[in-house]
Amino acid sequence: MHARRKDGNVLEGFSLAGKSAVVIGASNPLGRAAAIALAEAGANVGVATTTRAKKEEVVANSCANEIWALDRKGFALAIDASLESDIDALAERAASEFGEVDVLVNAHDLPYAQPIGDISFDDWRRAMDVNLGGVFLACKIIGGAMVKQGKGRIINVATVLGERGMANGTAYCAAQAGVLNMTRALALEWARTGVTVNAIGAGWTEGMGIIGGDENRQQLERYLPYKRLAKPGEIRGIAVYLASDAAEYLTGQVIWIEGGALSHA
Amino acid sequence: MSVLDKLKLDDKVAIVTGAGRGLGRAMSIALAEAGADIVVTARTKTQIEETAGLVRQTGRKALPVSCDVTDSSSVNAMVEATVAEFGRIDILVNNAGGYTAGYNDELADISDETWRIGIDTNLTGAVFCCRAVIPHMTAAAQTGTGRGKIINVTSGFGLRAGRNNFSYTAAKAGLINFTRALSMTYPATIQANLIAPGLFPHGQKALIDWWKGGKFVPMGRLGLDEELGPICVFLASGLSDYMNGQIIVLDGGGLAGGQAPTGFAPVIPMEVA
Repeated sequence: MHARRKDGNVLEGFSLAGKSAVVIGASNPLGRAAAIALAEAGANVGVATTTRAKKEEVVANSCANEIWALDRKGFALAIDASLESDIDALAERAASEFGEVDVLVNAHDLPYAQPIGDISFDDWRRAMDVNLGGVFLACKIIGGAMVKQGKGRIINVATVLGERGMANGTAYCAAQAGVLNMTRALALEWARTGVTVNAIGAGWTEGMGIIGGDENRQQLERYLPYKRLAKPGEIRGIAVYLASDAAEYLTGQVIWIEGGALSHA
Repeated sequence: MSVLDKLKLDDKVAIVTGAGRGLGRAMSIALAEAGADIVVTARTKTQIEETAGLVRQTGRKALPVSCDVTDSSSVNAMVEATVAEFGRIDILVNNAGGYTAGYNDELADISDETWRIGIDTNLTGAVFCCRAVIPHMTAAAQTGTGRGKIINVTSGFGLRAGRNNFSYTAAKAGLINFTRALSMTYPATIQANLIAPGLFPHGQKALIDWWKGGKFVPMGRLGLDEELGPICVFLASGLSDYMNGQIIVLDGGGLAGGQAPTGFAPVIPMEVA
């Protein structure tokens, strides 16, 4: 029952050598950082976009290049993460490249900010379908295969906006909060399957679509205890830990790496 | 540097309180395996000697120091002994604590003295240790050898209460917000985070039976002391450099559902659909 190494050095439990991972949303800074970290720790990593926007495909391809440069197997696939058929295709591609998938990272991110009066119901649904529905689909399809294997790690990536509200953020904040509580519910549902489900709560991060212009950024920097935004790579350690055998007893948790932002009143 | 290399704690010095047995012993060994030298502290001399022996088996140095964390002069002496031996302090794990007199009593039956022992053991001891090490960590940060890492061990009872469990839950909740205040006050000097372990029986049969082997834990089992080692190493390492004021709950899914640790496993009956 316990895959954890009892005899080896504690550091060996963090290694992902021989494991394979799929990262959705590797086209944004947090997803990309997680994908590279998993590869550095030894995993083969397939990456996918959040939407079929050309610029996302370019980033995902360069991420796959970086994974190959680390001597790992990998692939990049442009998908619309809100489409069931695209997730099926991603699962099939991963199965043909790697066999089993051990780690799924859902770092979907479609930035969206509007005052509520200006949000059409179609726009609301699009923000929800991608940012929340897309995570649901990946958990159901790729996570479902992990349940059949009897082992797996699901890591959902959200941000401080899943915990704190923000003006113009009704849709985006609701979707992110949804990801966090879906994480807890699914962790319980699958608690005895060998599949753990956790989330990383990232801070205000460089390159995050939602931050906006310089004025916004400077305000944030004044408010944060470290007086700076997070770098995307700051989630890489927790991504490796959660993906590894070392985290076997940890499920249903949101781990925040946000420089202390949430400790504020 | 590869992501796994950043976990290494070579040349770091860690103080672990409550290190004579259980979680403290497991974390001491894990930190040593990652490369740190360990100051092993607790009240009971025979137990810390034993842990120190296990630390030395990993090839690292161990300094066993008897210390009562509820006595600030004892804490200060322990910290001075650390600096005298190793010249620096990089990591502090405040693990000492536990259920004390008054657990399971009615509030009316808890004396002033009993209340103070509970708070001293589970909150004030950690405060004394932080107060004593932070000047050393500040000095190290100013000389550019890195920020100090403080890891406080709270409990699921710091996040959710328990019936007839007053001082322990209050102290462990207090430890959480004390840690957040530390994290906001000294971001340039230290990082302070928390681990909240779920049910860890430390191999004691009475506890395993009392918790029914963990059948009410969503994952279906109790925690093993060694499972705390990796997360302790992670929080002590360069890989957690942007993490500050946070709680990592390691409990097999217990708190995700919001149930008390020995409560029921919540499932929404499918008939409601």
